[in-house]
Amino acid sequence: MEDRLDSKLDVVIEEELTERLDAPAIRIRSQRKRLFQTFVRNRPAILGVFLLVLVLVMAIFADDWFIAIFQGREPQPLLAPYDPLEQDTVNRLAPPSREHWMGLDSYGRDTLSRIIYGSRVSLLVGLLSVLIGGVSGALMGLTGGFLGGKVENVIMRVADILMAFPSLIMGLMVLAVLGGGLFNMILAIGIVLSPTFARVAHSSTLGVKENEYVEAARSIGAGNWRIARVHILPNIISEVVVLASIWIASAIRVEANLSFIGLGVSPPTPAWGSMIRDGTKYLFQAPWVSFFPGLAILITVLAFNLLGDGLRDILDPKLQN
Amino acid sequence: MGKYILSRLLLAIPTVLAVLTLVFFVVRVIPGDPATAALGDYASQEAVEALREKMGLNEPLIVQYFNFLGDLVRGDLGASMITGKEISDLVKQVLPYTLELTITSIFIGTILGVPLGIYTARHVNTGVDYVGRVVSLAGLSVPAFYLGILIMLLLAHKIPIFPAVGGGNLKDFKSNIMHLVLPALTLGLIMTASVTRLTRSAMLNVLKDDYVRTARAKGLSERVVVLRHALRAALVPIVSIIGIWAASLVADSVLTETVFARPGLGKMLVSAIMQRDYTLLQSVMVIYALFVVGINLITDIAYSFVDPRITH
Amino acid sequence: MKRYVFLVSILVLLLALFVAGCSQQQTTQAPAQESASAQPTEAPAAEAKPSEPMVMRYADKAADLGTMDPHFAAATNDRNLVDMIFNALVRYKPGDGSQFEPDLAEAIPNPEMVDGKQVWTFKLRKGVMCQGTKETPAYELTSADVVWSLQKSANPDTSAYAGEYNGMSVEAVDDYTVKITMDQPLSPILFLPKVTNYAGGFIVCKKHYENVGGENFKTNPAGTGPFKFESYTPQDKVVLVANDDYFRGRPKLDRVEYRFMPELNSRELGLKSGDLDAIAGQNESEWAKRMDAEDGLSVDVYGPGEVAVIHFNTSVKPLDDVRVRKAIAYALDRDEFLALFGGPPVAGKVYSAVPAQFLAGGLTEEEVKAKGLDYARDLDKAKKLLAEAGYPDGFSLEVVSSERESYLKPYTSMQAQLAKIGIDIKIKTVDHSSMHKLIRQDVNPIVIYVAWRPNADVYLTRFYHSDSIVVSGAKPDTNFSHYTGIDDLIEAARVEQDPEKQVELWKEAQIKLLEDMISYPILYMSQVTARHDYVDYGHDLKTVFSLYPQFDETTTVNK
Repeated sequence: MEDRLDSKLDVVIEEELTERLDAPAIRIRSQRKRLFQTFVRNRPAILGVFLLVLVLVMAIFADDWFIAIFQGREPQPLLAPYDPLEQDTVNRLAPPSREHWMGLDSYGRDTLSRIIYGSRVSLLVGLLSVLIGGVSGALMGLTGGFLGGKVENVIMRVADILMAFPSLIMGLMVLAVLGGGLFNMILAIGIVLSPTFARVAHSSTLGVKENEYVEAARSIGAGNWRIARVHILPNIISEVVVLASIWIASAIRVEANLSFIGLGVSPPTPAWGSMIRDGTKYLFQAPWVSFFPGLAILITVLAFNLLGDGLRDILDPKLQN
Repeated sequence: MGKYILSRLLLAIPTVLAVLTLVFFVVRVIPGDPATAALGDYASQEAVEALREKMGLNEPLIVQYFNFLGDLVRGDLGASMITGKEISDLVKQVLPYTLELTITSIFIGTILGVPLGIYTARHVNTGVDYVGRVVSLAGLSVPAFYLGILIMLLLAHKIPIFPAVGGGNLKDFKSNIMHLVLPALTLGLIMTASVTRLTRSAMLNVLKDDYVRTARAKGLSERVVVLRHALRAALVPIVSIIGIWAASLVADSVLTETVFARPGLGKMLVSAIMQRDYTLLQSVMVIYALFVVGINLITDIAYSFVDPRITH
Repeated sequence: MKRYVFLVSILVLLLALFVAGCSQQQTTQAPAQESASAQPTEAPAAEAKPSEPMVMRYADKAADLGTMDPHFAAATNDRNLVDMIFNALVRYKPGDGSQFEPDLAEAIPNPEMVDGKQVWTFKLRKGVMCQGTKETPAYELTSADVVWSLQKSANPDTSAYAGEYNGMSVEAVDDYTVKITMDQPLSPILFLPKVTNYAGGFIVCKKHYENVGGENFKTNPAGTGPFKFESYTPQDKVVLVANDDYFRGRPKLDRVEYRFMPELNSRELGLKSGDLDAIAGQNESEWAKRMDAEDGLSVDVYGPGEVAVIHFNTSVKPLDDVRVRKAIAYALDRDEFLALFGGPPVAGKVYSAVPAQFLAGGLTEEEVKAKGLDYARDLDKAKKLLAEAGYPDGFSLEVVSSERESYLKPYTSMQAQLAKIGIDIKIKTVDHSSMHKLIRQDVNPIVIYVAWRPNADVYLTRFYHSDSIVVSGAKPDTNFSHYTGIDDLIEAARVEQDPEKQVELWKEAQIKLLEDMISYPILYMSQVTARHDYVDYGHDLKTVFSLYPQFDETTTVNK
C-alpha cells in the first residue's frame, strides 16, 4: 500500500515537472504568449530591444553592401555620412560641427562615421566573445559544481589556470599559437572570460544543489542531466546572464588592448575600443574623440543589460508564477 | 576542512606549473628577444648576439626551461634580464603597492556595491533603480584610465587635495595613504558597478523565494528579512564576483597604475612582456598564479561560511 | 536611508567629474582661471623653510629603467640618466649638439699622423673626482679609468657600441695623458663622437665598476658627472643627488627625481598640479601650443629631430621597378604627413636621408628642388608611371607597423594617400619589439623607419651600404631597400679628411638615392618638453642628443 502511494506520488511530481518543459503544444503556446506579454509589459526591456535594434541597424546599414554585392562594386556609405577611412589631416581634431556632428579624430576622420562602422566589429566582439566565455564557462561551472568530487576538482583547477592569464598574455598566447585575426581575438577574450563564468556558475550551483527540490527530484530517481537542466540551470542562469551583460562592455574595450599587439582588427578599421584608446591621447585637447565611442559602448551595454534583465524575468522559474 | 585546504594547496603545484610552462614557451615564440629590446634599434647585430649569449638565450630551450624550474624549486626567482636586479627584490618593492591598492579597491567596491545592489533590488523598477542601473552601467563602460584621469583632474588638479602622481613613500603612512586614495577610488568605483549589478540580481532572485516569503509572513521586520534571510542566500554569487575581482585586480590594474604612475605587479607584467624580460615575466606569472589559486581557495572556503549547506 | 546617501554621493561625484571634464576645455582658453586654481598647490611650498632643498621633478614617458651602464643605455630614459651621472673626454655643448667642448679633457687636440696612423692625445683635467659610493670611496679619475673605460666600450661583451671602436687603440702615457691611435684616419666629425658624452664615449669609474660587477652597475652606477645615483624604485623613479665634488662646481639643484610616467595625460596633470616641474611632452604642435599658452608653463621644442623615412625593398615585385617607386613618391605629399604632427615647429619636412636641419651632409629643400628630385605630388604622373610599369589598377601590399604613434601615423597616412592611385596597403600592428624583429627578417616590402643617428656616415652606412642589407648582408643591419649603389661613395666619404669634400660625397650619395627612389624621406619629429616658468635649465635648447632638456650644474628650480 505504501509502495503504491509512493509511486503514485512519484507520478504526480514527475508530471508536474514534465509539464514545465515537455507540456502539450497548446500549453506551451499559451505559456509563450504569457511570457511574451510579461516581456512587453517590462518597459525597460522594450527600451533595451529598441536600443539594440538601433545599434544593429547601424551595423547593417552603415554602407550599402547589400546592393554593392550585386553590382560588383565597393560599398558606399549609407547611414554613415562619410567614408570612415577618409582623412582630412589638415582639419584633424576639429570639434563637433554641422558637417561633422561628432568632430574629427587625430587623422581627420569623421568620428560619427567611424562609430557607425565601428559598431560592426564591436558588436561582434562583445557578443561572440561573451557567448564563447559564457557558454563554456557556465557549462564548466555547472558540471563541476553539480557532479563534485574529482570532476569538480579537475574542472575548477583548469579554471584556475585560465584565470591566471591576464587578457594581454592570453592574447599573446592565442597570437603565438593561432595567429592574428578578428576571430582569434574573440576566442582569446572568450577564454579569458570563461573562468569568471565558471566560478560564478559553480558557486551558484553549489547553493542551488542543496535546495529541497533538488533533493526531492533526486529521491524520485531523476537523472543527473535532467536535474541539472530542469532544476539547476534555470536557477543559476540569472547570475550568468547578468555577468554576461557586465562583461560585454569589458570585451568591447579589451579589443583595443589586443589589437595593438596584432590580434584582431588592423588600423584603420574602426572599432570602439580602439577609438577610445586613440582618443585618450587627446583627452584634454579634443575630448569628443574618445567621449562619443564611450557613449556608444554605454548605450550598447545598457541595451544588453536591460534586455538581459527582461530575459531573466522570463527565464527565472520563480518569477513565472 | 583542514584536509580540503591541504589538498587544494597541493593542487596549486600542478596549476602553477601549467601556467609557467605555457608562459615559458609562448613568450619565446613571439618575435623579439630581450637582447634586442635592451639594446634598442641602434645596436649592431654583433652586440645583440653577444648579449644573447650572455643572457643564456642561445642554450637549447629545454635546458633553459629546466634551469629555470631548478632555480624556482630552490626558491630562487632569478634576476631580471634587463636591469639585472634580483626579481625577489623587485617584487618585494612592488608587491605592497599592489596589495594595498587591491585590498582598498575591493573594500570600496564591496561597501558601495553590496548596499547599492540591495537598495536597488528592494526598489526594483522605481526611479532610484533606473538611475542606479544606468550609473552602474556607465561605470562598466568607462575605461579605467578614462575614469582615473577624470578623478585626477578633479581631486588633484581642480581641487588639489590629493597628489596626482606616484605611489608615495611606503614608510611614510600619510604619504602612502594620500597616494592611495585616488587610484583605489578609480578601481573601487568600477568594481562597484559590477558588484551592484550582481547583488541586485541575486537579491531579486531570493527575495521571491519561499523562505523569504515565510519570513515576511512570520511578521519579521523588513530589515531582518532582507539582511538576515535574503542577503545571506544571495551572498554566494556576490562572494564569487568579489573573488573574481580580487584575482583580476592584481594583474589588470595596469591602466590605473599607469595613470597614477604607481608601481605594481600588473605593470611589471606588461613591461616584462614589452621588454621581453623572460625571467621577470615567468617569475611574476608564478606569483600571480599563486595569488589566483589563493584567492580562489579563500573564496571557495568563504562559500561554506556564507551558506553552511555547502560543504567541501 | 543610508544607502540612499551612498547613491546620491556617487551621483554627485560622477556629475562633478563630468563638470570637471567639461570645464577643462574652458580653462585652456582662459589661462587666468588656471593661476587661481594653481594657488593652493603652491601653498605647501610657501610654508617651506628657506633651507628647503632645490629639487627637479621630471617625468619621462618611459615605463621603467633599463640600465644606467652608459655603454648599454639605448632607451631615451636611460640616455637621460647617464647624461647626468657621467662625463666624457669631450662633450656636446649643453643644449647645442652642434658644438664640441672639452669635458674631462683640458682641450680638444688636433690629430697627428704617426707611422701612417692617426694619433689623438688628450690631456686630462686634474682633480676630477669619481663619485663616492657605499662600495667605493671617492677617488681621483686618472688615465687608467679613461683607458679602461674606452676599452670597455670596444668590448662587445661589455658594450652595445663596440662596433664603433674597431681599429682604435688606447693607452695611458701618464696619469693625466691618454693617447688614442686610429688605424684608419678619420675627420674630426667622425672621430670626436666616439669620445664624446653619448653612448660609448662616456667614461665609467673603473674601481666602482669592478667592485660591484657589471650586472649590479646597471642599477648602481658611478661616474664623474654633476649628479650621483641615490635610489631606484621599479616603475616609479630614479633619484639622483648633487655631486658635491663636481669639477665644474656643486650643482645648484640638490636632487633630481626622474619619474617614469608613460601616460601623457598624467604627466600633464602632474605638471599643472605642481607635482612635477618639467615633463616630456607629446611631439605634436597642437599640444606644444596649448601647453605653452597655459599660465606659468612653457614648452621647449628642440632637436634633434628623429627622421621618418620610407624604404622600398627593391628586391621584390613590384617595387623592383623604379617607375613603381617613383609613382609612389609622386603620390605622396609631405604636408599630409606633417599635418598629423600638427605641422611646424614640432615636425618639419626632410628631403634627404640625412636631415640637413641637424647634420652636415644632408640636402636642403632648395638643393633637392634644383635637381628636380623633390617629387612634388602629381597624381596623374603617378598613375601614368604605374600604368607604364604594368600596374594600371595598382596592387596591394601587406606591412607590419609598430603600435607606437610615431610609426602608426606615417603608415596610416601613407595608406590613405596611396589608396588614391589604387595601391592598397594592409597594415598589421604589432608591438614595438616585434616590429623591429620582423622588419629585420625582411617581411615588409615597404618599411617606414624612424631614427636619429649621430652623423651622416652612420645614416648612410647602416641604411644603404650593401654590407648592411637585412638578412643577407655581410653585417646584416637596416638596409631594408637591398640597395648596393652607393658603397663607394660612403667609403670614400668615411676616410675623407677634408670636411668640405666629405660633405660633397655624402650629398652625391643621397642624390643617387633620390634618383633611384630608394627611399622617400618624409619628416623629422622634434623633442617637446614642458616646464614651469620657474625652471631654468641654464642653457638654451637647440639640440640635445640625449633627448631631454639636460640638467646640469647650472639648472635651477626657483619656486
